[in-house]
Amino acid sequence: MLEIKNLKATVSDKVILNGLNLNIKAGEVHAIMGPNGSGKSTLANVLTGKNGYKVAGNIIFNGEDLSEVPIEERALRGIFLAFQYPLEIPGVNTNNFLKTSLNTLKKAKGEKELDTLAFLKLVKEKSKELQIDEKFLSRQLNVGFSGGEKKKNEILQMKLLDPKLSILDETDSGLDIDALRIVADGVNSSKNKDNAFLIITHYQRLLDYIKPDFVHVLSKGKIIKTGNSELGEQLEKSGYANL
Amino acid sequence: MNQEFEVNIENISKEEKKLREESLNLFNKEGFPNKRLEEWKFTDLNKIIRDNFKELKSSKVLKKNVQVEQIEDFAHNSIILVNGHLEANNFHHEDTSNIKIKKHEPKLIEKTKTNNPLINLNDALFEGGYYLEIGKNYKFKKPLIVYNFFQDNVKNKIFNNKNLIILRNNSSLDLIEFNTDTSRNNFVQNNYTSIKIEEKSCLKSYTLQGCKSNGFYYKFIKSELSKKSNYENLIFSSGLKFNRVEEDVNINGEESNCTIQSALFLDLDSHQEIKTKLNHLKPNCTSYQKIKNVLNKNCKGAYQGKIFVKDIAQKTDAYQLSKALLLSDSSEFNAKPELEIYADDVKCSHGSTSGSMNEDSIYYLMTRGINRKKAIELLTKAFLLEVLDSIKNIEIKKFIEKNLDRQIYGY
Repeated sequence: MLEIKNLKATVSDKVILNGLNLNIKAGEVHAIMGPNGSGKSTLANVLTGKNGYKVAGNIIFNGEDLSEVPIEERALRGIFLAFQYPLEIPGVNTNNFLKTSLNTLKKAKGEKELDTLAFLKLVKEKSKELQIDEKFLSRQLNVGFSGGEKKKNEILQMKLLDPKLSILDETDSGLDIDALRIVADGVNSSKNKDNAFLIITHYQRLLDYIKPDFVHVLSKGKIIKTGNSELGEQLEKSGYANL
Repeated sequence: MNQEFEVNIENISKEEKKLREESLNLFNKEGFPNKRLEEWKFTDLNKIIRDNFKELKSSKVLKKNVQVEQIEDFAHNSIILVNGHLEANNFHHEDTSNIKIKKHEPKLIEKTKTNNPLINLNDALFEGGYYLEIGKNYKFKKPLIVYNFFQDNVKNKIFNNKNLIILRNNSSLDLIEFNTDTSRNNFVQNNYTSIKIEEKSCLKSYTLQGCKSNGFYYKFIKSELSKKSNYENLIFSSGLKFNRVEEDVNINGEESNCTIQSALFLDLDSHQEIKTKLNHLKPNCTSYQKIKNVLNKNCKGAYQGKIFVKDIAQKTDAYQLSKALLLSDSSEFNAKPELEIYADDVKCSHGSTSGSMNEDSIYYLMTRGINRKKAIELLTKAFLLEVLDSIKNIEIKKFIEKNLDRQIYGY
């Protein structure tokens, strides 16, 4: 599904990703761990097409090179990023935003757009799974939401939009134990043979709930080690310094 | 530019003609105000008129049998103005014994003391307009829409008129001024509106532009507030090629409030300015101003807000904020707050920010499949929508939001 070849990214002459290679197949869950400043969030941003990076190398998604593909088009093709710090957007109603987003995707896929009633039914169902209080959805997008509520809202968007590749950027940070389990359940119940997940995290704890098929260690903009889920557990004990 | 005005008004006395001619002479000395005048430093109207008009003539050209399209969103009373002239009114939701409505034909008996060239011009040439008086203790059951409509034959014309609105003690009115026209050509409206709000009365006024327009509007609103009264004006005039609204408010009775807010989306080389002067003349009064602008390419916006607090006006609470978002480097926004305070126990605050749209917010929306243009439109609306929060009447609020959508997303 996703092939990253020799990916380099620089911001004002500072090299952040320095020849990163990664292959993700449908049905797989990959975790990327690594110390602060190793380039984890940059990888997430570059995959979504965020401006401000000078990018070299290739990102091939479902057989097509994404280098010239703009942000929204990548989203329409099935790349989703759950933000580390979801933005507060005053004045934008959460439900309206979710509906606009979902219907834009449906339109791009050539599917019938949902009317308000059908949308509300769907969003009600999905938010129930994530134990999101419905009244949040009639509020302004992420405004006044707690850290946990914002992260749950990201996962709600993921479930609504049903992407092919979901990138979770430190979704576990700021979550209490109960919320962590709810979010993990939300991810696990979305898994199927046609989609894939890239989970960026500092800690093993999220991976206790979402079992990855592969764990990669990112350091200085490169993947320096790849293993199975045991690698994560090992890192939790010994830290990155010993690698 | 060919611009020669003449006092040629029917049925006026010799004395009035003389006064009008004096006003015209004052105007003719300098012509339309230019940026060398401090009050016009952000709006060089002289240049704007020269750039957009080959000639300009005062006129009241009227075609018969005018059909003005009515709003069907909610039940309302109506006043229909055609080229500034009162043509029809309908107050079928109200007890009309409490309402006086007629053509406003004030006899000019004394020259307005002003150095404002447009008021001088208005004094010289005004015709038409309406007089509206609400009787004591009468509260309107439904809003009043003033359809301010201009016909298609107004090219290179200037319309000068005066309106007068009086709310007698303990009365209230929601008034929506709805500007529309069918002209594709440039024309000027120069309006002078006087408002008198007596004790315990409340006027909520909304200024809405209903279509894209090549109108160049200037409106001077002079209001007088008595004890425990409330005056609000919310301005949504996006779509006009040029607009300048001036508010001169005397808060002249204790425990009164004045609120002026605007939410403007400037597009297609337009120019809008709001200038206020709120005079706190009595103690224990409040005023609140929030001016929000989003500017697209080649637009110019300005806000000049002055708060004056007289020495006896203790416990004044005056708030003023201007926020502007610039979507393009080719746009310009100027804010000039002014405080002139002679009382010592007052709370006055002012703030002004202008900047570009938050790129991270745009990015966030785009990662959800929304394209850049749509994301900017969503954020533009979100930025301006805050001004609607204070509207209590749900029907009016919905209607204004719909109108705002049209202004932002296109007609």
